[in-house]
Amino acid sequence: MHIPDGILPVPVSAGGYAVAAAATWYSLRKINQKENPREDVPKAALLTAAFFVASWIHIPVPPASVHLVLNGLLGAVLGYFAFPAIVIGLFFQAVMFQHGGLTTLGANAVIMGLPALAAHYIFRLRNLGDRWNRTKVAVLGFLSGSLAVGISVAIFIAVLLTNLPSQLDAPTEMTAIYALAIAHLPLMGIEGVITTMLVLFIRRVRPTILDGV
Amino acid sequence: MHTKAKFIIGLATLLALHLMLSMPIHAHGVRIHHTVDVVVEITAAYDSGEPMAGAQVSVYAPDDPSTPWLTGVCDDEGRFSFAPDVSRPGTWTVRVRQAGHGDIVYISVGGSSDTSGRASGYAPLQIVLMAVCVVWGSVGTALYFSRRRR
Repeated sequence: MHIPDGILPVPVSAGGYAVAAAATWYSLRKINQKENPREDVPKAALLTAAFFVASWIHIPVPPASVHLVLNGLLGAVLGYFAFPAIVIGLFFQAVMFQHGGLTTLGANAVIMGLPALAAHYIFRLRNLGDRWNRTKVAVLGFLSGSLAVGISVAIFIAVLLTNLPSQLDAPTEMTAIYALAIAHLPLMGIEGVITTMLVLFIRRVRPTILDGV
Repeated sequence: MHTKAKFIIGLATLLALHLMLSMPIHAHGVRIHHTVDVVVEITAAYDSGEPMAGAQVSVYAPDDPSTPWLTGVCDDEGRFSFAPDVSRPGTWTVRVRQAGHGDIVYISVGGSSDTSGRASGYAPLQIVLMAVCVVWGSVGTALYFSRRRR
């Protein structure tokens, strides 16, 4: 799901940067409005590291293989910190491992970061009624983890399909894109389960971690 | 999702394919013409090691970077080979792409016979070390911000 350099035309890359900058600004503003903006920084730093490393965990889904994204998990647990965390994680992935690229950093931040914010909004629904109802936390955790991957794949496909270069054989490339999208369906389930396990663990061990979110 | 595709330029060196001999019968003089055809073979794989089977390849000549000189598809092992036109020396560009993943390699043809391509990247140990550094940076940030306030 990381788009490398040289795939997107310049206006799309620039647009990606613009949207990513706006989302970062909005997230930081929301963080600044908190009582103690620094409180959640340690959590965000650790999950940035998890996001950074997660892209190496490959899950073979024949005929392709996909890797963990964890953007839904970051959104659910970090709230507005998720977007800056993902931008930083993507930056390190791009400069150190050429996974993604610097010109497409904005576009990739949109692809993975905006769904993280969506996951945050989904997981926040638990505040309606009993906040720590076990079933509710589990279901919302699963939904935020899996839907974030789903939305990411949807944005990824939309960006690619609207920017197919003319020298490519379009039907072949589209088939490849759809195949990649289908390969992500199991990943949605996997990330949903991972997010559920983590939020249930936090709920049992130290629910205060999720207080600020 | 695939990680970024990486090319291992397996070998782009020349295979001397045709040795064309011409021997006129009428005199004792002998003339030998020979041409050397350069064949470039690329091997494209995702950095999970999986070959980019069926990926689309476009090859661009040095003097025309916008229209593909040749297009084709990688085989099941992610290999693609072509013989560039040696009369157009310079840097040839090869793009490989599949489902939004891909990369570009530059291959110099003619003039000197050396070829260049992107190295296969870092050794696994280097990658692990770099990752550990980034992770440690994050942990350090976490520790810094979680220290008790005085």
